[in-house]
Amino acid sequence: MIQFDNVTKRYPGGIDALKNLSFKVEKGEMVFLAGHSGAGKSTLLRLVAGIDRATSGTVLVNNQNLGKLGGTQLSFMRQHIGLVFQDHKILFDRSVFDNVMLPLDIIGFEPREAAKRVRAALDKVGLLDREKSNPIRLSGGEQQRLCIARAVVHRPSILLADEPTGNLDRDYAHDIMELFRSFNQVGVTVLVSAHDEMLMHTYGRRIIRLAQGHLTP
Amino acid sequence: MKHLLYLHGRAARQALRTLLRQPLGSLLSLFMLAVAISLPLGLYLTVASLASWSNGLAASPQITLFMELNADRADVETVNQTLKQHALVHSHRFVSKESALKDLMARNGLAEVTDGLAGNPLPDAFIVSPKDTEPEALERLQKELSGLPMVETSQFDAGWARKLHSLLTLGHQLTILLGAALGIALVLASSNTIRLQILARRNEIEVSKLIGATDGFIRRPFMYFAVFQGMLAALVAWGLSAWLIATANPAVAELAALYNNHATLRQLAPEEVAALLLGVATLAALGARLATGHVLREMEPS
Repeated sequence: MIQFDNVTKRYPGGIDALKNLSFKVEKGEMVFLAGHSGAGKSTLLRLVAGIDRATSGTVLVNNQNLGKLGGTQLSFMRQHIGLVFQDHKILFDRSVFDNVMLPLDIIGFEPREAAKRVRAALDKVGLLDREKSNPIRLSGGEQQRLCIARAVVHRPSILLADEPTGNLDRDYAHDIMELFRSFNQVGVTVLVSAHDEMLMHTYGRRIIRLAQGHLTP
Repeated sequence: MKHLLYLHGRAARQALRTLLRQPLGSLLSLFMLAVAISLPLGLYLTVASLASWSNGLAASPQITLFMELNADRADVETVNQTLKQHALVHSHRFVSKESALKDLMARNGLAEVTDGLAGNPLPDAFIVSPKDTEPEALERLQKELSGLPMVETSQFDAGWARKLHSLLTLGHQLTILLGAALGIALVLASSNTIRLQILARRNEIEVSKLIGATDGFIRRPFMYFAVFQGMLAALVAWGLSAWLIATANPAVAELAALYNNHATLRQLAPEEVAALLLGVATLAALGARLATGHVLREMEPS
C-alpha cells in the first residue's frame, strides 16, 4: 500500500530530513510512527500524501510511483487519502458542517448524498449536534475530531495523521486513537505519528521509529 | 465528462453568487471599467461612421470641366469627342450654359438677380466620371483634361478628400492604440481583482489543495468570476456608448445639414457586440489566469 525505497528528502539549505529510508506498510495495516520532534515524521507523512516530493528514491502509494505523477494526478491521488493535520487546518469562515463538506465538494459529490455523508462523519466523531456551530467555538479536542471527520468523510483508503494527540490529555488522546482503530477495523490503512510511546504500546500495533531521518529499532 | 460539466456549473454558480454579493466598492470599480471600455468604443463608432459616410462621398468622384465663355458649338463638340474616346473616362455629361442658368434660377430663387443680368454669365460645362477613383489618378486625369483646347478650368478637390482620408486613418490608428492600451489595463485590473479575492481566501485554497483539489478546481470559480465581471462591464459600456451616440446624433445631423448632407453616427451591430463581449471576456479570463497561476505555482510540491 505504502512503500519507500531508499528515500532521501533534502530541504533547501542542505538539511536531510530523511536519509535512505526504506519501509513498507501493507494494505489494511495500522502503523504508528514514533520519534522526537524533528526526527522526520511530518516529512514522511508529507511524502506519502504527495505534498512534498522525494529528493531521491521512490515513494509508492497504491502501486503508483508518486515521483512520476504530475500535479493534477497527485491531486487525484490525494482524493483517496485522508489527512489529519497537526495544526488542524480548519476554516473558521464557515460552519462545522461546511468544513466537513469541503472534500466532497472537491470530488464533486451530489449535494444530497454529500450531506448524508457529512452527518455520518460528524456522528462518528461525536460532533453531530455542533454541525451549525462555527469551529472557533469548539475546544482543542473537538477541533481535532472535526479535522478527523473531514479526513474520513470521503472514505479514503489511507488515513494519515500527524501528531493527532499532541496537545490533548490522556483520556482525550485515547478517544482519538480509538477512532483511528475503528477506521482501521473497516479496512482503512492507517499511519499515525505520535511521540507518546506508552499510548502506542497499549494498542499493540507495529511501530516505525525515526531518529534524525533514519529508522531505529 | 458529465461530472466535469457538473463541476463547471457549480463553479459558475459560485462565481455568480460572489459577484452578486459584492460590496458597493466593487460595483464602482466595475462601472469604472465600463467607462474605460466605452471610450475607445465611442471613438471606434465615430470613426467607423465617418469612414462609411466618406466612402459614400468618394464612391463617384467627379471632375467638372468649364469651357471658355466664348467657346462655340464646334469647340464643345471637339471636347465631347475627346472625352468619348478617352480610356480613363467612364462617362460624361454635358451641361449647357442655358440649362445651368435655368437650374440656378430655379434652385436658389435668384430669379430677380439673374433677370437683371445683361447676358448669361455661366459657361458650358462637362461633368466627367473617371474610371479610376484613386486620388492620384484623379489628379492626373484632371490635369490632362484642363489642357484640352478651349477648356477654361477644371475642378476636383482631391486635397480635401485626401485630408479626410488621412484624418480617418489617424482616427483608426488612435482607436487601435487606445483599444490595445485598454486591453492591457483590463488584463491588469482583472488580475488585480482576482488577486485580492485569492488573498481573502488563501486559507481555503491552501487546505483545498492539500486535500486533493486540482489546480483546475481552484482556478474555476475565479475564472468564471472574472469573465462574468468583464462581460457585465462590457454590457454597461455598450449601453454607455449607445447613449453617447444617441446624444451626439442630433448635433451631428445639424452639422451635416449645414453642408447639405445627411450624416448620423451608427450604433454597434449585433456581431460587434458579440465580438466586444468575447474580447473583454477573453482578456478578463487571461488576467484571472495570471493571478491564479501565480498563487498555484507557489503551492506546488517541492
